[in-house]
Amino acid sequence: MTLWGYEARRTGWAAVLGPPLAVALGAAAALAHPEPSDTTIARILLGGLEMAVPLAAAVVCSSLIGRDPARELQLAAPTPYRVTLLRRMAVVVGWAAVVATLTAAALIVTGWWARWPQSHGALAGQLTWLAPTVGLSGLGFAAGAVLRSPAAAGAIVTTVWAVQQFFAGAVQQHLPGRLLYLFATTRGATPGDWTANRLTLLGVGAVLIAFALVLLGRRPERLISEEDE
Amino acid sequence: MTAFGASLRYEFRMQVRKRSVWIVPALTLVLFVLIGGSLLRDLFDPGERPLDPRTAVAGLAVQLHALLSIGFGCLLADRLVRDDRLGVAPVLDATPASPAARLSGKYLGAAAATAVPIAVAYFGFAAAYAIDTGRPVAMAWATAAFGVVIVPGLLLVAAFALAVPMIMPAPLFRVLFVGYWLWGNLVPPETMPTLSRTLFHPLGGYPLDALFDFHGIDGEDTWAGPIAGATWNVLRPAPTPALAWLSIALLLTVSAAALAGGHALRVRRIR
Amino acid sequence: MRIEISGLTKTYRGGVHAVDGLDLDIPTGMFGLLGANGAGKTTLMRILAGIVRPSSGRVVVGGHDITSGPGRTAVQRELGYLPQDLGVYPDLTARRFLDYVALLKGMDDRPARRRRVGELLEVVALTEHADRRLRGFSGGMRQRVGIAQALLADPRLLIVDEPTAGLDPEERIRFRTLLSQFAGRRTVLLSTHIVDDIGQTCREVAVLAKGRLIFRGSVDELTRRAQGRVWSVVTDGPAPAGGTVVSALPHDGGMRYRMVAAAAPDPQARQLEPTLEDGYLTVTAAGREPASRSGTPG
Repeated sequence: MTLWGYEARRTGWAAVLGPPLAVALGAAAALAHPEPSDTTIARILLGGLEMAVPLAAAVVCSSLIGRDPARELQLAAPTPYRVTLLRRMAVVVGWAAVVATLTAAALIVTGWWARWPQSHGALAGQLTWLAPTVGLSGLGFAAGAVLRSPAAAGAIVTTVWAVQQFFAGAVQQHLPGRLLYLFATTRGATPGDWTANRLTLLGVGAVLIAFALVLLGRRPERLISEEDE
Repeated sequence: MTAFGASLRYEFRMQVRKRSVWIVPALTLVLFVLIGGSLLRDLFDPGERPLDPRTAVAGLAVQLHALLSIGFGCLLADRLVRDDRLGVAPVLDATPASPAARLSGKYLGAAAATAVPIAVAYFGFAAAYAIDTGRPVAMAWATAAFGVVIVPGLLLVAAFALAVPMIMPAPLFRVLFVGYWLWGNLVPPETMPTLSRTLFHPLGGYPLDALFDFHGIDGEDTWAGPIAGATWNVLRPAPTPALAWLSIALLLTVSAAALAGGHALRVRRIR
Repeated sequence: MRIEISGLTKTYRGGVHAVDGLDLDIPTGMFGLLGANGAGKTTLMRILAGIVRPSSGRVVVGGHDITSGPGRTAVQRELGYLPQDLGVYPDLTARRFLDYVALLKGMDDRPARRRRVGELLEVVALTEHADRRLRGFSGGMRQRVGIAQALLADPRLLIVDEPTAGLDPEERIRFRTLLSQFAGRRTVLLSTHIVDDIGQTCREVAVLAKGRLIFRGSVDELTRRAQGRVWSVVTDGPAPAGGTVVSALPHDGGMRYRMVAAAAPDPQARQLEPTLEDGYLTVTAAGREPASRSGTPG
């Protein structure tokens, strides 16, 4: 087995099952609609990609730090532990990307992708899931690095996600809120902001990941103990 | 002291001193205030706030319950499996204390501790509203709303948060839980089959409607009862006070069943 | 691989001085580290392993300054480390776990890695359990996996914290021998509460108390510290005051106590030849004596 193989194994079942389960739940929600129209079904299917897949990936990313039983061995190894954690995060996001890309391809081929008027082309349209996945996963990883508690970091990710669901209108009243809104494709208030929104989410995700890496490198001994259990 | 009492006190103390139990709701409230459009700000705006203190504190209960319960559930999601992970379980299992009593103590202790910041936030905002409007009766309504709307919902969330990670990884539970919370509370019943507005509504639609006469901040919404064209309307009888108490009893029964299921699983595993 | 420590201090949040102005030279070969719980041994070992950053002071390991990032990485390439609380991945087999740790240590050549893992499984007598998941391993078996992973990259510096905890007597002796054989031209830093393990394997020893060095010298000299201070007392009642009880054995309806005390704790007390354990107790009882230096750092 390669190092990547071992790290993939460390991410656990939640990382493996989360994204396909997210897509399946999105599809089930589309099928369950009592008065389906093509637009509504297409919106729910794209919503699965834009809402559920990022959530699944981000919650797993938020639990990467703080529960590693061999962390003391990891910290004494010449391979920096933060690189190992980054590798695990790449596996989680990578697997979510595989599932999302295959789903998007299926939606494009079957024509459902284009039936949602606010969808974008086959290539740029992949930002539908990629931007919120990177943004929210970056938040989860950074929260994990700060709090060293998967429970707390996971709570922050799910809460941010839920606030944007519950208060979609209020969140998007101002430009900063619109730029940081995770669901701009399927619930976006201003379609013109879409590209800026996607790039902002990617940028914020990258900044948060970089912040987490700096923090993990500065005081690695914080990682020896779990959060105040 | 009984096993139940000892376990409850220990779990409460251990959980309440965790930073994350306070940080997560605090950040949620900050986010909530920042986005605007919520009652947290409107309560103190004479032009926006509800005049009736009962409506004000019921609306506050709905908003805080809907949002803070997510962090509450996520924070509790590993409390039962944690004992096994840290190797404490065999030590506790070797004591003469009944496992059921220990589990009940752990459940109520951890849930109560994690609910403390929610209670502080809720009663804090209610008290500020009562002082700002000169209507102390708001505190009485707040106490009632906390007891019959927030507490049953939190007990349900806590029971599932403890039990479900016995059969799936805690991160997966967190994903499914937030999905359920959105689906079971806020999805309009006419768009898909949902527990929203049913007797199993964890946000407490029946108590809100029948016991608090709450119909939204503007008085234009309904929170329980049948919806034309929706599936599962059989679970949405027209709200009455009796049905409100039945709804609370159902939530508590489902909580107990979930907890019993988690307990049975654990017992089977250690045998 | 020589270790030079000067003015080393580690202060944790809340102002706890885990290591407090430590000066210590550790030569090549086996070196023992003794001290009560909370003496700062684990913190010192974690600093040497590059896990914990010192608050101040200088630590040079084999010519590399471990307060710098590149120095730390250079030391970690030469390091084998067995922590006190060894955590493993329970879902991996022993073979896979060792293979993974070898990869983390930069052993990229697959056939060489497999060969090395196989050799070490043999050394720690786990070959027949190699393909079992670690979840089902006993404490002793797990500890042997820990020992194997520490030796993986043929380290020039081996740091082992309580390595024989959980091992049965035969395994303990076996492991001690293994460490002694391994030491040769390498440095092995052995921290333990089992004083006998130090006596059987190390020529040099340091004793820490409250983060400070209270003894540094040869094992023989540590033993001699108790010369004239070890007593045997037989009594019907409790042990007499004024000394530290080393052992208590039932004797003719009463008790025979072995005690360490500056003066005879009882008029009938009989003087005994000291052991290393008596020496350790003498030094720790003296507590805050200034560090004694004898023995020649190599």
